[in-house]
Amino acid sequence: MIRSERTPWRTAGFHLTALSVSLIFAVPVIWVLAASLRLPGAPPPTDLELLPDPIIWSNYVQIFELLPLGRYLLNSFAVAALAVPLTVVVASWAGFALAQVPEHVRAAFLALAIVVRMTPITALWLTRFLVLNELRLIDSYAALLAPVWLGSSPLFVLIFYWSFRRIPADVIESARLDGLGALAIWRRIALPLARPAIGAVSVLTFVQYWSDFINPLLYLKSESRYTLPIGLRLLQQMDMTSWPLLMAGVMVMIAPIMILFVLAQRAFWVEVRS
Amino acid sequence: MHIPTRYRLSLYLLLTPFLAGITLLVVIPAGLSFALAFMSYDALSPPVWRGVQNYRHLLADDLFRRAVVNSLTFLALTVPLRTLITLGLALLLRRPRRGIRLYRAAVYMPTVIPGVAYALIWLWILNPVYGPLNLVLGALNLPTAAWLVDPRTALPALALAALFQIGEGFVVLLAGLQHIPDDYYDAAALDGAGRMALFRHVTLPLLAPWLFLVIIRDIIASAQNTFTPALLMTGGGPYYATLFLPLLIYQTAFDRFRFGEGAAMTTLLFAGVGGLIMLVWRISGGWGYDDSV
Amino acid sequence: MTLTCRYGLFALFVVVLVACAAPSLAPARAITFMVSGDAAEKAAYERLVAAFRERHPTIQVTLIHIPGQSDYRKRLGIDFAAGTPADIVLINYRRYAAFAARGVLEPLGPYLAQSAVISTDDFYPEAMNPFIWQGVIMCLPQNLSSLVVYYNRDLFRAAGLPDPSPDWTWNDMLEAAQRLTRDTNGDGVVDQYGLGTEVSLFRVAPFIWQNGGDVVDDPQTPTRLTLDTPAAREAIQWFVDLQVKHHVAPDAVAEAAENSESRFLNGRLGMFLNSRRGVPTYRTITDFDWDVAPLPRGKQRAGILHADAYCMAQVSKQKEAAWTFIEFANSVEGQRIIAATGRTVPSLRAVAGSPVFLDPQTRPANSRVFLDGIAFIRAVPVMETWVDIEDMVAEELKRAYYGQASVDDVIETAITRTRPFFTRRDR
Repeated sequence: MIRSERTPWRTAGFHLTALSVSLIFAVPVIWVLAASLRLPGAPPPTDLELLPDPIIWSNYVQIFELLPLGRYLLNSFAVAALAVPLTVVVASWAGFALAQVPEHVRAAFLALAIVVRMTPITALWLTRFLVLNELRLIDSYAALLAPVWLGSSPLFVLIFYWSFRRIPADVIESARLDGLGALAIWRRIALPLARPAIGAVSVLTFVQYWSDFINPLLYLKSESRYTLPIGLRLLQQMDMTSWPLLMAGVMVMIAPIMILFVLAQRAFWVEVRS
Repeated sequence: MHIPTRYRLSLYLLLTPFLAGITLLVVIPAGLSFALAFMSYDALSPPVWRGVQNYRHLLADDLFRRAVVNSLTFLALTVPLRTLITLGLALLLRRPRRGIRLYRAAVYMPTVIPGVAYALIWLWILNPVYGPLNLVLGALNLPTAAWLVDPRTALPALALAALFQIGEGFVVLLAGLQHIPDDYYDAAALDGAGRMALFRHVTLPLLAPWLFLVIIRDIIASAQNTFTPALLMTGGGPYYATLFLPLLIYQTAFDRFRFGEGAAMTTLLFAGVGGLIMLVWRISGGWGYDDSV
Repeated sequence: MTLTCRYGLFALFVVVLVACAAPSLAPARAITFMVSGDAAEKAAYERLVAAFRERHPTIQVTLIHIPGQSDYRKRLGIDFAAGTPADIVLINYRRYAAFAARGVLEPLGPYLAQSAVISTDDFYPEAMNPFIWQGVIMCLPQNLSSLVVYYNRDLFRAAGLPDPSPDWTWNDMLEAAQRLTRDTNGDGVVDQYGLGTEVSLFRVAPFIWQNGGDVVDDPQTPTRLTLDTPAAREAIQWFVDLQVKHHVAPDAVAEAAENSESRFLNGRLGMFLNSRRGVPTYRTITDFDWDVAPLPRGKQRAGILHADAYCMAQVSKQKEAAWTFIEFANSVEGQRIIAATGRTVPSLRAVAGSPVFLDPQTRPANSRVFLDGIAFIRAVPVMETWVDIEDMVAEELKRAYYGQASVDDVIETAITRTRPFFTRRDR
């Protein structure tokens, strides 16, 4: 059978291809790291050097002095951390309910979820801004966290739905007959069985809010509330051609995500398993 | 299974935050957008009814036309390329073997990089004098370009940057490939089918629904993914070469405070995306998109 | 001591304490003040706010700083739209019309008339005039700068050039720029340019005026751009040729690699065109000596007005407190503080003529240049849609400047595209 023909040549060919591809995808991060360690103000080298000489670690300190980047970092972290439990609750509630409501209701909601997923955000910005403006939520984290109301993304609702669908109906039936309400069943029976889903949604939610640029751009006014993406843009505007500092800022922003990516691989492959 | 009313009610109650969110954040803004498109509004004075004037003005506006052309061009460049690349990578990395985790992770990695960081990284990579791309091209004796600075190469440069964040599609296609039972391949191989034939007659048809999903998602994504790169890397220039519809909407609404005009653009964008999806659906014959969702 | 005695003493102690603390318990009025600019400019306003706090401890001023110019514009708009603008905002005369027209600014004329500290006559009329909206003074200008040439004296010396003379010509500047454009390390690539400038209508206008042309047909009620007159065309061609023909300014690629202002700060640019705005940042330069020269003259002299003003939001809940700050900022004392940081060419005659601005020991030593230019200063039209017009023309000019289109092409397109904006009513 063709599939299992793994000659040494084939294997070598595979690894060569896969390795080259991986390098192309991963190498930019290394370039950024190298660029962030150069001396700001000096013209960058016009030849490809991997490690600059001298290595300027102080760039990472300087960006925190130029801007209150530490405060922005904390703000980003606070928003993302707050979003996680809120999202898990709303999304898992919705998923839990969807797994049990009658077929036609479920179909309607799923269709709605898909339509929402398909709507480009750009179609909603403008008027969403006006709505939140009327509600006097501008310049508050409530505006940034507003998406948790729809579970941050219909995808998360779907993830929980798939997860809860696997729970045998009689388990829920007997719990109900024991007198437990929906909320109690959700908390005591469904959630503990959905650990992988919770893990995945938590990680993906954190990444989503950590990376969020457009919402802080539109809704935040007070400097003390800015998040990291805005901070990075400010850094860019303060000195557009000071690449080392800018790249240092970029590294600061992607470092937690990289760490999460390495530690919580499984979360990102969630769709494969569903 | 009989569900008592009280329990059913509590289930619906659990759905209310989600419903409230959708209403407040999607339904109302969408409806408002549609309505606002017929008015002139600057958020300082009350809206003024303008009928279809906004639409008429837009269709005659050269900036709007430019933005539409740019957005369509970007779509035409990125969607097919991304699909091909994603398909190729999914096929390459479908079978578990040594190192597969690492390779898959490397392919996925650019996708998790936050938009702002990704845009700035590429701004650096595409720098015509100091950026690694031109340095590498120069070292290999290949032609270099001014990329973001030249109106002819600016849009292709942004398209290039968009080719690397394919993680989501990659995951979907991997899942799709896993769903193809091996017996199909065995049977076809017994009939004497070569690799190309296997691909064309087994893989492709069975992968079709998943491919379809990926393409649709990409079309929708391209209606919003151009915003951050265009804003941070080129500001819409040089000379409107990278002025995409989302950026134009943002500038019209939040720079010039012409919310009515912005809303009109938004509805046209929405209609355009919807139309494209319908088109793809038609062309693909509505390839059994599996509703086992 | 008996118990009652002790309590009595304690009570007395508390009363005395409260009595002494009473003045600082007076209610503080809080106002916000929004500015834009880079770090050095921010520091300038921080000084002003600190000085004000000493004078008026019961008024608390919070400074809001927005680094980017276009972000500042957006922020202004969003704030006014949300109904929560800062009490005091700095707005440029080219941009304030849209806000004045919508009635979101509180006219400062009446406050000025009643002020015991400053009066209309104290200000340069050239600075005040653009801010008179329908007969009323809307905002108080803090400065009136013109466009000048910042030059790197060390590079001039090294190239054997004398300092620019007060009436040097276009040709003189071009020749100097040519001498200053060099490949310093012999690698075949120019790394020191003679001249750098932002490419915009705002930079080109003074050259058009100097050549006898004009930007619009009627400065009071403009209906179209007049960039196609021979005089204007010639001036634009000369400006564009600096890059396209003589290559004394960085091309698109070089500008993207390192922008002109950055080059000047790092000692790699001979001359940079800018207003007074750049001074606080340039004062951080330690590696070389720099100064300012007037714009070279064409057929006649002309300068272009740069003016920002303090404006008060109409919805402000602390108008009295806000006016107190605006009055302080535009009093001799307040303007001295900002002038000391180098940020402004003071709009108060008294301060502009004083050593705090003219002292040759502080850079630029030749600050007199700014005052001498006031006689020739002209303003661009004040219109609601001027921002759109400027942006469009800038895009067109850049095309010509970077060699992607001819000047005739660009002028024609600019006039056609901007035509609707002269008659447009947004409401």
